Amino acid sequence: MINRRHFLTTVAVGTASAAALAACGTGSSTSAGETGSAENPVTINYTWWGNDDRAERTRKAIALFEEKNPDIKVNGNFTDFAGYWQKRATEAAGGGLPDVMQWDLSYLRDYGQRNQLLDLGTVNINTDAFEKSLLPSGQIRGKTYGIPTSTNAFAVYYDPAKLASLGIAEPDGTWTYQEFNDFLAEVGAKSNGEIFGGTDYTGVWWMFNIWLRQNNIEAFTEDGKLGFTKDDMKKWWNQTAALRGTPAIVSEERVTQLAPKSPFGSNVTATEVTWDNFMAGYLADSGATELKLAPVPSDDPDNLGLFLKPSMLMVASAKTKYKDAAARFIDFMVNDPEVGQIFKTSRGVPASKTQRDGTTFEGTDKLVVDYEKSIEQYLKDAPEPPIVGFGTLEASFKRVASDLNYGKLTIDGAADAWFKEAEDLIKQNA
Amino acid sequence: MTSTATPTQSLPDAELAHYNPKSESAGTKRVKSTVFHLVALALTAVVLYPGLWMIASAFKPNSEIGGSNTSLWSNNFSFDNFVTAMDGIGGVSTLQFFTNSLILAIGAVVGTILSASVSAYAFARIKFPGRSIFFGMMIATLLLPFHVVIIPQYIVFQQLGLVDTYVPLLIGKFLAADAFFVFLMVQFMRNLPAELDEAARIDGAGHVRIFTSIMLPLMKPALISTSIFSFIWSWNDFLGPLLYLNTPDKYPLPLALRLFVDQTQSSDYGAMIAMSVLALLPVLIFFLVFQRYIVEGVSTQGLKG
Repeated sequence: MINRRHFLTTVAVGTASAAALAACGTGSSTSAGETGSAENPVTINYTWWGNDDRAERTRKAIALFEEKNPDIKVNGNFTDFAGYWQKRATEAAGGGLPDVMQWDLSYLRDYGQRNQLLDLGTVNINTDAFEKSLLPSGQIRGKTYGIPTSTNAFAVYYDPAKLASLGIAEPDGTWTYQEFNDFLAEVGAKSNGEIFGGTDYTGVWWMFNIWLRQNNIEAFTEDGKLGFTKDDMKKWWNQTAALRGTPAIVSEERVTQLAPKSPFGSNVTATEVTWDNFMAGYLADSGATELKLAPVPSDDPDNLGLFLKPSMLMVASAKTKYKDAAARFIDFMVNDPEVGQIFKTSRGVPASKTQRDGTTFEGTDKLVVDYEKSIEQYLKDAPEPPIVGFGTLEASFKRVASDLNYGKLTIDGAADAWFKEAEDLIKQNA
Repeated sequence: MTSTATPTQSLPDAELAHYNPKSESAGTKRVKSTVFHLVALALTAVVLYPGLWMIASAFKPNSEIGGSNTSLWSNNFSFDNFVTAMDGIGGVSTLQFFTNSLILAIGAVVGTILSASVSAYAFARIKFPGRSIFFGMMIATLLLPFHVVIIPQYIVFQQLGLVDTYVPLLIGKFLAADAFFVFLMVQFMRNLPAELDEAARIDGAGHVRIFTSIMLPLMKPALISTSIFSFIWSWNDFLGPLLYLNTPDKYPLPLALRLFVDQTQSSDYGAMIAMSVLALLPVLIFFLVFQRYIVEGVSTQGLKG
């Protein structure tokens, strides 16, 4: 009952808010807003999603900020990720977004284009210490709506203990798609089907996106259309055509059984392709003592298609009364070295160099930081924030690819199905 | 109300002669009864399995929950999950979440009982102009999907400055906004003999007296089933508190439960399940204590006649 009600609610809130969002917003004054003093401080609201651990760390960061800025008080609130967006949608419709918010890249364009977010270019936030290739990911048509707190990069995870037990050498960090496929097949063959090579990587949207970049194709054009063709997509899904249904790739049925845990976290596969900030989660889920990261495969050794993606951003409400205070808080959260020391890599690798340099990384943290350092030479500009409705497209990509693995769709049928959905959606949001 | 007289079907004489319920041998009876109980037990096992799984998982380490772990019991039995769950989240103790849930649930029960019974009395016993229109409108609100009113309601409370208080969550209960309960009580009251309040009126009782001295005591089953439902619904409500409460100190349990699962970091399923078990206890106790009244309350609705 709860589940059904909850689902309906998500849908309803989404739809209703879309309409309501469109109706309100606009108009922001250019003044610095109200300011406070040590005797009479202003209070700004800051909200984030996350677990107990993040709440603890954020509390410390806020205490530090208040100590350094006696004229500002920060009132911190948090919810879980799914509830977070329902709440924001309702608040945006009701005109009551909190002053400063932790933000996710996939929602940036939606709220930014509807003038719900403050143009951070109009306030004073220092971005000198940021990688220049990273900043465009928080910008839409020249306006800065979000400042990245931290980054993640795409990677191939592997479990060295499992490879050692099968007598397979660890990857050396450069591989073509053929070599990667052979590697997956070898794991499956040597373990007698007990451990699969990995999940079908062609079902992962970002892996597809990276492959497109390796072939110098942008997934979306600047005007929000698809930048690739049906043939590109078919070619991509053909990459693992020979592996589907063999022990190289875990079956879709098994993946469904294991949810909400991933096959990799359940110790069913030896590798996984995903963002490098999943490390802590995988370690906790699998109980493994050590997991390692390798760069993604590429047929062009000089172009891995990799980029840094903001794992989360800081944004401010367009209607905040305390622009100056909000800006100072954001600046503190993204740049202050002590904040880096508090969060370590729990938000991702700190995006600002001052913060990164001020943080000591150990153990798992160091592994992730070292990985991002090792791929530095391959990094290119981050793509602009994804188009409105990108979440739906990504989900449908996953669904179509899983139908492909179930054998319900042929590769041609899968490409047709996805393109139809994508084109409809883009037309709707145009 | 409608007395459905069961038509006494007269069986043909020939069949009647053969039909003797006592003629079945004791052996056949025992087989039938065994089969029935086995089927019933098997169904119970299927229905209760999720609950059993939840309780078993609460004692397992996080890495052994879900995923490829199919065994129900773990060798690494421990109470660690309960310790984590009781630690609270982000500086708010778990006891606080329980207290908040209790305040909301008890508030909902008190409010609903007070307001719904009074409104039901008006609809069932007082003839006022436009009664059927108002009654129809009230029933119509049952058909209005909750999701349609979320945003307008939020804007109202936002403008009134009542967001982040319990007012938006409780005010509706005190104003008989739960049409379902009003309807339930109206139906119940209509079945009570009108002679009783007529007699009271002859003795000089007004509406207040009739309501408190005659109706309320007779409505006990309906009041109890209303309390149980509104308690459980309020205890389980997720969306209302999510939208209207901002400060974690004010969160009830359903919001707190979700904080253990974080998609972007590590999820502590163990602690979440342990806390679910704890959160289930009050509802379970409440239900066990009052369950016979639930059946009584519901089964007397609209069936007397």
